[in-house]
Amino acid sequence: MSTTVTTTAAPVFAPKVRRMTLKRRRQFAGVVFALPAIALVVCFIGIPIGQAVYYSFTQWNGATSTWIGPSTWTQAFHNTNLWTALRNNGLLLLTVPFALALPLGIAVLLHQRVAGWRIFRSIYFLPTAISWVVLGLVAERFFAYQGTLNSIIHALGFSHVSTNMLGYQSEALIALGITFIFTMIGTNTMLFLTGLATLDPSLEEAARIDGAGRWRIFRSITLPHLSRFVQLAFVMTVIALFSALFSLIFVMTGGGPGYATTTMEFLIYETGFNQGDFGTAALYGLILFVITGIVGVVQLRLIGSNE
Amino acid sequence: MTTVLTPPTESGSHKEPPPLKPPPRRIGRWVLFGAMIVVAVIMLYPFFVMGVTSLKSESQFLSGGGFSWLSWSSLTSVIPVGQEVLSSTIVCSSSIFIILCVGLPAGFAFSKLRFRLSTVVFLVIVSAMMVPLQAILMPEFVNVTKLGLTGGYTGAILVYAALGTPFSVFLFTTYFRGVPDELIEAGIVDGLGYFGALWRLVLPIAVPAIATVTVLQFIQIWDDLLVGLLFIQNTSDRPITVGLAVLAAGRTTSIPELMAGSIISALPAMLVYLGFQRYLVKGLTMGIDR
Amino acid sequence: MAEITFDGVTKIFGDNIPAVDQLSLHVAEGEFMVLVGPSGCGKTTALRMLAGLEDITAGSLSIGGTVVNNVLPKDRDVAMVFQNYALYPHMTVAQNMGFALKIRGQSKGEVARKVGEAAAILRLTEYLDRRPKALSGGQRQRVAMGRAIVRSPQAFLMDEPLSNLDAQLRVEMRLEIARIQRLLGVATVYVTHDQIEAMTMGDRVAVMRGGRLQQCDTPQDLYDHPKNDFVAGFMGSPPMNLLRVGLETTDAGVALALGSQRLAIPASYATSHHLPRVDGPGVVFGVRPEDVEVRDGSSADSLTTRVERREALGAEILVHLSLVDVGGDNAIVVNDSGAVVARPTKLVAKMGPRSGVSVGDHLDVRLNPDHFHFFDADSGLSLRRGV
Ligand SMILES: Nc1ncnc2c1ncn2[C@@H]1O[C@H](COP(=O)(O)OP(=O)(O)OP(=O)(O)O)[C@@H](O)[C@H]1O
Ligand SMILES: [Mg+2]
Repeated sequence: MSTTVTTTAAPVFAPKVRRMTLKRRRQFAGVVFALPAIALVVCFIGIPIGQAVYYSFTQWNGATSTWIGPSTWTQAFHNTNLWTALRNNGLLLLTVPFALALPLGIAVLLHQRVAGWRIFRSIYFLPTAISWVVLGLVAERFFAYQGTLNSIIHALGFSHVSTNMLGYQSEALIALGITFIFTMIGTNTMLFLTGLATLDPSLEEAARIDGAGRWRIFRSITLPHLSRFVQLAFVMTVIALFSALFSLIFVMTGGGPGYATTTMEFLIYETGFNQGDFGTAALYGLILFVITGIVGVVQLRLIGSNE
Repeated sequence: MTTVLTPPTESGSHKEPPPLKPPPRRIGRWVLFGAMIVVAVIMLYPFFVMGVTSLKSESQFLSGGGFSWLSWSSLTSVIPVGQEVLSSTIVCSSSIFIILCVGLPAGFAFSKLRFRLSTVVFLVIVSAMMVPLQAILMPEFVNVTKLGLTGGYTGAILVYAALGTPFSVFLFTTYFRGVPDELIEAGIVDGLGYFGALWRLVLPIAVPAIATVTVLQFIQIWDDLLVGLLFIQNTSDRPITVGLAVLAAGRTTSIPELMAGSIISALPAMLVYLGFQRYLVKGLTMGIDR
Repeated sequence: MAEITFDGVTKIFGDNIPAVDQLSLHVAEGEFMVLVGPSGCGKTTALRMLAGLEDITAGSLSIGGTVVNNVLPKDRDVAMVFQNYALYPHMTVAQNMGFALKIRGQSKGEVARKVGEAAAILRLTEYLDRRPKALSGGQRQRVAMGRAIVRSPQAFLMDEPLSNLDAQLRVEMRLEIARIQRLLGVATVYVTHDQIEAMTMGDRVAVMRGGRLQQCDTPQDLYDHPKNDFVAGFMGSPPMNLLRVGLETTDAGVALALGSQRLAIPASYATSHHLPRVDGPGVVFGVRPEDVEVRDGSSADSLTTRVERREALGAEILVHLSLVDVGGDNAIVVNDSGAVVARPTKLVAKMGPRSGVSVGDHLDVRLNPDHFHFFDADSGLSLRRGV
């Protein structure tokens, strides 16, 4: 009876072939497919962030770096240029309400679906396609002493008044801000228009039947519906303000007069490539990173709250 | 709420914009129309300036009157437009190719082949969208230079690709989340491996998402200044946007010629934009209106 | 073509309760096996394990005698029809159908020939160049079928393939699928929770609940001899009347005690069933609605009832009856295994469309004594001997 085997314990298992389970295979494929993207982002974005932290504590000219320690930070914060740049960015924040309100108005206009609104829509969005370098060039022509702005002023009868906004410390930033608003109109209008398109028209109709006027409907129905789009536009506009003005500044003012139109991002470029002070530029970069990081967290919250 | 970028399903049909509202009252309509015209004039102003200015000679520009083809005929001798457009094209297409090659499989992985920590990795990659290049400009520049990649286009292409990847990963992932799992499983049962599924199912299904990424990245990269300015060392390899910006900043080139160059530089992006407006809107609103 | 064997197959997601628990099931070559059960009972999971889309936690699964636990889906040679069809949106009908053949490296001509044949069987020939988007629901369903049949696979797996169709198409496709399956003679596992599909299509029907197989039999056997009260209550529409009753001895032999009324049990049941002792805990007594008949005048084998509600369905009338003079409670009782076993005083009867009953009528009903069912009051298992 030595050959008796208990068969009650468990079903007879097939000989175990040592292969990956289906789930493992799927996960393995997932890792392989995601790897190139991960590698690219880590190498060109992740690692540089770490390096920026390191180099922000060094004296660095691009080739050799000497560890200095936290004193680089105290030094940087004593640098008036940093504060000027931050102040400029802060002042430019004042343009954000305009960069939101104007597109909102334009989107509402388009949404009325007046004859030819599709053509108007295409026209309004067209500047979105062209480079801010080009827009900066045009803006420079607009604000120049011999530019369109003065022509308009003269045409209005104020022939003795002439402006040269880009030439004056006090006014250059305003010119830059106006240009910035113009460049953001297309994108933001597009966002709001999409938001309006997702608004259920029967809601407005119901309100109209309830006797609500146009303004009332806009206030109580349209605007609340758009709030998420307004939030997104706000975040995108602020981020653009901190990271996309470079082209405009580069062609319009070169950061000047003086440092009047130097923003954080331009300061980084200026410090690194004109002054050769890579360490300080890296440090400024980190400051910019923190600022946009805060805005970015808000943005992720917005995206995250929808998923 | 509707998904803005809807993957095709066999039942998927595209919704038209909501029906027109009842026409507003007469006078109101003329006011509206007037307002739209005013906005249109403002938005067309840059094109007007470019067009008109480019059709003057330097002296006509300064004096204000007259028209001339001079700046167009002398354009290529002042700005190497041909070479620069070629450079822009090479840089743009190569970066977009990499962005697609890297983003598509990753989007597939993050939506359908989820692995341990895949959600975390996805979130980290997506948050990289928020990192402005300027924040990491110095180390990036030094790294790429040390690798000897700033000689040709390689450095710029890789930097553009890396900067565009987070967005494309995000867009593809969101897009594939709308594709039913069964579609992939049907392929697997039909005999595909995961690579086969990627190549023969995922890729063709993703065409609208690919178009969106391509259009957005094309405009982004074509119009960019900073990367091209710093990561392409040879003046002769400069993309057109960089060429224009440098000349403009130098303040020695005649304005009409700059404007002629601007028109050339703006044309491709505008054509792409007019042709693919739809995808641009989709990409912009991706993720908000799900 | 091949047989399929589940041997103690278990699936546990995460570390929760098993979605499929020790499933043992044999599907013979060419057999049409229907898996039914309430939502969440593990039907889809069982099917997905068979397709190779889900790992098997324990047990062994074989197709054609080969254990396939670790075999990739593409090497299992099974074809699956999904509930939402999962047609490839970027391919035409012909490409959809030929896809599996194409990736297996068959020649263009061969693929076209097989697709053509399948299309003819499914009457899809004129739609071969269309995209799925341009097809109706029924046509899409047929394309999904076509994608499966062109492959001449070892087995067909279908997960509620008809549930997205309207009622009429469903009837049509039900016949169609059964016809094609017989024609091709490929072993088929068909998941549904529509018991009409189960009854009409399956060679055998496997009823599942909570991941466990309850019974697997031919549709008629399942209907006539349910192994437990769950199967009895699940199969049939309206479900079998299940009443928890006591047993008593009367002059005529053993009788059911329904309140003050007594219903004689034919003596044959004492031998064919393990009836519990008289005056014990009682049994669950089952009788199908069609076995409840109206009778003129009361007798030993009839019950006196009152009509509470009538539902005219056209071809038949469902009459809800309550036993007269029962005393006791009217509550619905749920047994340990979760089935509704006893509405102690209610009966549903299926009557002819012309029966002129109306609410409030008092009816004497006779329960067809040839079709009584008895289940253990605790375990719910059938008390029939030899099962
Ligand atoms: N991927 C999964 N992860 C965790 N649990 C799962 C998963 N898939 C299924 N389950 C669980 O396993 C059980 C069985 O699910 P299954 O889909 O097989 O049911 P079903 O019988 O097909 O039901 P239905 O008729 O509703 O389709 C359910 O309780 C379900 O919640
Ligand atoms: Mg299911």
